[in-house]
Amino acid sequence: MSTGQGGSAQSGDPVVDLLLDSLARRKATAQVVDAADAGREAARWMADAGVARAVLASDPVVERIGLADALKREGIDVRIWPTGLGKRETMGLEGPADVCGVTVPSLAVAERGTIVLEASDGHGRGLDVTSRHHVALLPADRIVRTLGEALALTFADGRPAPSAVSLVSGPSRSSDIEKISTLGAHGALTEHVVIIR
Amino acid sequence: MSTRKRRDDGGVAYLDVEGTLRERTVDALRDRTLRGNLDTAATSWGESRDAMREHYGLDDMRERAREIRRSNIRNLPALLTQMQEKVREAGGTVVRAADGAEACRYITGLAQARGVKVVAKSKSMATEEIKLNEALVDAGIEVVETDLGEWILQLANEHPSHIIAPAVHLNREQVAALFREEAGTDDVPDDREGLVAHARVRLREKFAEAGIGVSGVNLGVASTGTVCVVENEGNARLVTSQPPIHVAVMGMERVVADWDEAAHILQVLPMAAIGQDAANYVNLITGPRREGESDGPEEFHLVIIDGGRGALRGTEFEEALSCIRCGACLYSCPMWRSVGGQAYGSPYSGPIGAVITPLLEGPSSPASRDLPFMSSLCGACGEACPVGIPLQDLLVRARARASSPATRKSGMAFRAWSRLWRRPSTYRAWMAGWRLMLRTRGKDGWATELPGPGAGWTEVRDMPTRWPPRR
Ligand code: SF4
Repeated sequence: MSTGQGGSAQSGDPVVDLLLDSLARRKATAQVVDAADAGREAARWMADAGVARAVLASDPVVERIGLADALKREGIDVRIWPTGLGKRETMGLEGPADVCGVTVPSLAVAERGTIVLEASDGHGRGLDVTSRHHVALLPADRIVRTLGEALALTFADGRPAPSAVSLVSGPSRSSDIEKISTLGAHGALTEHVVIIR
Repeated sequence: MSTRKRRDDGGVAYLDVEGTLRERTVDALRDRTLRGNLDTAATSWGESRDAMREHYGLDDMRERAREIRRSNIRNLPALLTQMQEKVREAGGTVVRAADGAEACRYITGLAQARGVKVVAKSKSMATEEIKLNEALVDAGIEVVETDLGEWILQLANEHPSHIIAPAVHLNREQVAALFREEAGTDDVPDDREGLVAHARVRLREKFAEAGIGVSGVNLGVASTGTVCVVENEGNARLVTSQPPIHVAVMGMERVVADWDEAAHILQVLPMAAIGQDAANYVNLITGPRREGESDGPEEFHLVIIDGGRGALRGTEFEEALSCIRCGACLYSCPMWRSVGGQAYGSPYSGPIGAVITPLLEGPSSPASRDLPFMSSLCGACGEACPVGIPLQDLLVRARARASSPATRKSGMAFRAWSRLWRRPSTYRAWMAGWRLMLRTRGKDGWATELPGPGAGWTEVRDMPTRWPPRR
């Protein structure tokens, strides 16, 4: 697990710690940071991963941590969803190869290392899977313990069901060759969760 | 690219399988590579599943799962009506197809009406059952399986051998050879990472071209009209989000009432299927893209297939409809572990396949005659099933229903025998005759060649003419 320079891998909060353990099991990396450092830390992680372009969900959390500016300071090209890029470029067939989709989960499931992504105007359905890297910005108060809780909240009576919800549990993988798990099948090769205190 | 045949009579078994079930099993048993691959697969599944079993109390979760699925099947008509209404409210189209042919006609018709040339698919047993690929190819449309395992099989022009891990019977070298052929170059790596990366790029091109994405459905949730598509690779998300049209194909029995039930089944499924407590991606889709959203399909079509399922409700086979297609019974079955799925000659193999294929094919089909006997009735399948389907009981019932000239003949013989032995007089006459024959046929206390029902015995061993036998 990557701790990030300014973050820590332990938080003292049992639900957060459970999520950290589960994410590690899912082969995702994670760090816990204060809101004031979140933008800089996330940008530094992307720079270290060799990201050339970041596609950001249009979301208050992204703005609050000042991610776009932090990324520009790292020399990373920034696009905000919807990007207006063509289909081939969105799918990574044109343009830079090292693209990172930046999402803001609506919830996370501590027990299983699952993040919940809801499609909306500012949050594309394919944001995390079309890119090579995936960074999720998760406010710590959105963590629940079980999948049952997360689904009950997401599909609560009286709340219109989102057009698409994705439960993402670690980077894309396939076990289709000799039943041995290999990372990076169709979706993102890496998943990094920035947990914001 | 498919050379497979298609049929319009609603049958699910493959038409292009060669030989009898017995011949296919013998061939499979002789294939040592296959045995090795199956062994590795089943062993690693067993180890991971056992870990889950302890950690989450999988066995205790089974009772609830069974109750949920039984009540779903009992209330099926109402749940399907609700599902249909909710999908329509969300802006989707729902089609109820009586059989595979009808479903294929609808989907090929849609593709032709929209001028679609390429269809990208994610893994779905239901589309394999209705032979959608063959139908699309017949209509001049290119079909690309995007699940890595399915794509490998498509390149090999083979049928899937397992519900969850379709290409479980091919090893790395075999896969590399297929990729080289497809790409028309030797420049394909043969390590696992390299092979996966190669496929990723080749298939992205197809996603970008595809006019329709076709997915299966693991569960439909009636209360919101949501379809759940569970996967590990991310291709199902691409299939359901990138092409302008998404067609989801669902067996009519795959519906649950609400999110409470869905949460339970979605937790059980990956543990039973792959021995993990979560699949990598679970895509929960409610209708097409909404106003203001800038990706996702503009059209969403849900095709619900009966294909003989509805008629099973209220019969002694009803519980087979509870199946969530996890594949646990396959891995746990000593038969399947020895011969793999291909020998079954149907998209559904293993214990559940031996039950469901004959039911969907009809009692007089070859599948009905043979498949229920592909089991030692050891009960490992029923034990493994996360929704508590008593598979071994269903197999016994399927055997009772099996009818063939051979089973009819032996049935007649046994009935005659039982009439003879039931009365003391006829029994004594039989024994006297038998003793007389042994004495006249035997030599030195042993009969080496007997006629009639005794022939089978003396073909491989001798029979003593008196007791105790002479040494
Ligand atoms: S019968 Fe049970 S074990 Fe077999 S695939 Fe269906 S749900 Fe899984």
